[in-house]
Amino acid sequence: MSISEELKQSIRTNLKKVMDKGAEYVDARFYTHDDSETLLFYDGNLEANDTSFESGLGVRVLWGGAWGFAATSNPGEIENCFELARRNAETAARLMRLPLGMSKKPAHKSSFTSPVKTDPFTVPLKEKLDFLKAIDDRLTADWILKRFVYAEFQKKYSYFFNSEGTEVSKHLANVFAKMMVMALDNEGQMQRRSQDLFTTGKGTRGYEMLTQPELFSGHADRIKQELAELIKADSLEYGRRSVILLPGQGFLQVHETIGHPLELDRILGYELSYAGGSFVNLDSFGKLQYGSEKLNVSAFGGIANSPGSFGFDDEGSPERDYLLIDQGILVNALTSRPMIHEANEVAGRQVFADVSGGCARATAFYRAPIDRMTNVNILPGNDGTLEDIIASTEDGVVLDNPVSWSIGSNREHFHFGCEIAWEVKNGKKTRILKNPTYQGHTVEFYNSLSAVGDASTWQVWQVDNCGKGEPNQIMQLAHGVPAIRFDNVITGERK
Amino acid sequence: MIEQKIREIFCKVRDKAAARGICASFSLHREKSHLMRIGNNSVSLNTSENLCRLDVEVINGRQTGTHTQMGDISSVEYVEKALELAVEKARVASPKEYAPIPVVVEENVDESVQYDRALENVEPSFKGDGYQKIIQTVGEKYNFSGSWSSGSVELYLVSTENRNEAYHLGTDQDFNVVLKHPEKKWELINKQNGWRQSDFSADAAIKSFQNLLPFYEKVPGFKPEPGEYTVAFGAKALAEVLMMGSFTGFYGRGWEEKQGWTSKNQLGDKILGENFTLVDDPACEGTYRFGFDLAGKKRVKYPVVEKGVLKGLLYDNSTCARYNKPQTGHSTGSVSLTMLSGQDSEDMLAALKGKGRVLVIPALHYLNIPNSSKGIFTGSSRFNALLVEDGKVVSPIFSSRVTDTFASVFSNLSLVSSVNHSINLSNTYGRRAPVAYSVPSYIVAEKVKITDSADSF
Repeated sequence: MSISEELKQSIRTNLKKVMDKGAEYVDARFYTHDDSETLLFYDGNLEANDTSFESGLGVRVLWGGAWGFAATSNPGEIENCFELARRNAETAARLMRLPLGMSKKPAHKSSFTSPVKTDPFTVPLKEKLDFLKAIDDRLTADWILKRFVYAEFQKKYSYFFNSEGTEVSKHLANVFAKMMVMALDNEGQMQRRSQDLFTTGKGTRGYEMLTQPELFSGHADRIKQELAELIKADSLEYGRRSVILLPGQGFLQVHETIGHPLELDRILGYELSYAGGSFVNLDSFGKLQYGSEKLNVSAFGGIANSPGSFGFDDEGSPERDYLLIDQGILVNALTSRPMIHEANEVAGRQVFADVSGGCARATAFYRAPIDRMTNVNILPGNDGTLEDIIASTEDGVVLDNPVSWSIGSNREHFHFGCEIAWEVKNGKKTRILKNPTYQGHTVEFYNSLSAVGDASTWQVWQVDNCGKGEPNQIMQLAHGVPAIRFDNVITGERK
Repeated sequence: MIEQKIREIFCKVRDKAAARGICASFSLHREKSHLMRIGNNSVSLNTSENLCRLDVEVINGRQTGTHTQMGDISSVEYVEKALELAVEKARVASPKEYAPIPVVVEENVDESVQYDRALENVEPSFKGDGYQKIIQTVGEKYNFSGSWSSGSVELYLVSTENRNEAYHLGTDQDFNVVLKHPEKKWELINKQNGWRQSDFSADAAIKSFQNLLPFYEKVPGFKPEPGEYTVAFGAKALAEVLMMGSFTGFYGRGWEEKQGWTSKNQLGDKILGENFTLVDDPACEGTYRFGFDLAGKKRVKYPVVEKGVLKGLLYDNSTCARYNKPQTGHSTGSVSLTMLSGQDSEDMLAALKGKGRVLVIPALHYLNIPNSSKGIFTGSSRFNALLVEDGKVVSPIFSSRVTDTFASVFSNLSLVSSVNHSINLSNTYGRRAPVAYSVPSYIVAEKVKITDSADSF
């Protein structure tokens, strides 16, 4: 379903009305579809067979240097919604120190559609259930205590309008999936192995992505086999050693300790009361040695097939492909139009060029856009394959898949728990170890980066539940990460 | 207040579905939300959301399907359309190995005991003025941020199993303001919670900052080395640890499936210290009170841990069906968990006299559970954290990581405050769903493991 001409005209009319009253900028997003379907087999029982359809309007108004926002799910309330957003902005302007702004941008009319061969919502439910049940059957064994397999399909059709005359239509599609097996180990503790649906970065984002065995279902037997070994394994002992993160763990390391600290709204202090701040400040750019010279990090990274590729953000800015960290030096942030304006005003100089990073995104029509990381990627390096990296490691562990993550409020330190570790001694993988954890301090950690795998090790792992903002927002994106090795890292827990 | 027209639409669709032999439940979730966010001493976002959701669940023997739709509930046809989608999903669904339990609204409920019209309709300027007063009084030289969420929630539930109707109307608010020193980087917080507009006091926030600022302004930070410490957890930290501990130890699903830290225990086992008692009390004023759960079960006072002994587990409807357990009224995210207060002075510093060196950690940031079977949790100190010696504040402390087990912390309580505080634990992901725990204003635990610390706040 597309937006009606009558509705478009109503939105344009109301945009103009609010501007005529004195607003500095107005934008509106109408979602005709924000649909999701969740299917979950838990121990073979279909525990979730859910669909959710949402639609409505969100309006953002900049008035007197302050933002107001309002949303409604009632199509009969469009005029009131614009007026409520205007009044909210007017009230906000009464408590304002530094007027917020949006530098002028030329109007454009654009559209973006996620590459999809088969819309999952057109696939018969029975076919989807049969596909997942077949995976569940492969995960089944007498010794496996718990297992699940799930898939989630999303479809978001949105229409963006702003007072500059820009209009953008977007048809976004996402497919997420995960499978997990659990069993009790020799100490009575639950251990687990899992596999998420991941991508190579190429290809399409429809139902066909889910059914490619190499991206998902083909890993069922492997995780079962690894769990069988894990439940007989010893625990990882406390000590300093090298850690080699596979992309299934590296994506979250990047997400938490590069992505979030480089979101410009966090740097400017807008998340302090909730998610926290950042150890990065406006003087860090061009100076901070974030990591070793092997560290090259990009935003977006030209990924065709990712939930973090969306054409245009929720301010109408096109997504971009640019470096955040260049040979270890911090060079840019994850930005939106108003945050760039404010950062440069606060610094009294041009810290950032007046080109949005395309990071303003909202989880739904009823939330205002905030700075969200796009696809933040570690670029492939020159240290060969995973086997090459292992061969050059004296004492370390290979780690995969997160169990827990706890990050300092300014992202300056972290603690991760993983599902599995493989011990590495004198260049060889020896045995599996359970309950692996590691912790570190962000800048020290990335400066200990000693090996970055080549393109053969690079995978794109999807994130379907990045939480941020108040009111809270969930966002979808992905990270392309190669195998990466860090040295002298604290691993395991003290007795 | 729900319109009679909506009740009539729901009941008409319910009765028609029942006549067709369909087993279905229908629930409405309607929220009127407002949130003001502060950043850099200014309002950074002022947002209003009026949203209405319809949830329909259909059970077809051992097959189930659910459908949620957002929009204005304007006609019988609108609800019937959602019903037909759920009916079709249930028809195609794979059958479960067990019989699902249908929603049964046990009795007619019409509750609004925690509803304040003034809070539901609070003017944003009231919030702006509150922040303004705090910022101007405490001082513009500091960087203030914060958020203030308020709103109302309506829940309305009927099912084809009978003609009962359950209706809940309540208001809630969650206020916080963070003060950060622009150069020294330390952060102080004041949080307030309640269901009435009058539960907020700008003066209380101002007083809390004025009490702490002298220590933070005058003394540099202390960096605890890894090791074991006596730690005083404030109410916010305690509530968050309890939430994690309950999630992994006191819910029926995790226990039945041997996933949590209590899975080796049975009801009646001593699992924690004598001075730890936890109850789900939907009559507790310090929590958000819900008289029924989303399965229609009446919610009543329910002991979880009594003097350290495991007394009860919290079962949702699906777990009850699968493991053949009686329903306990916990098919809801809005439990009213209450940790009973102790005997020790409300004045924490007075209580800490004679305790030697104590780390006071009022809040923990980014808690997570590296090992659910062992009940290991980890998180780092953030706001208002202090080093206290013999009841006297010595210095603020740098960001420090606590990594320990629920069992160890709650088995080694040497002090428990005699006064409870209400702590809001709501998140605002998706729909508005207020939840608050009532917990002692502080506890003191011995031999708590500090596993890392930063050189900064």
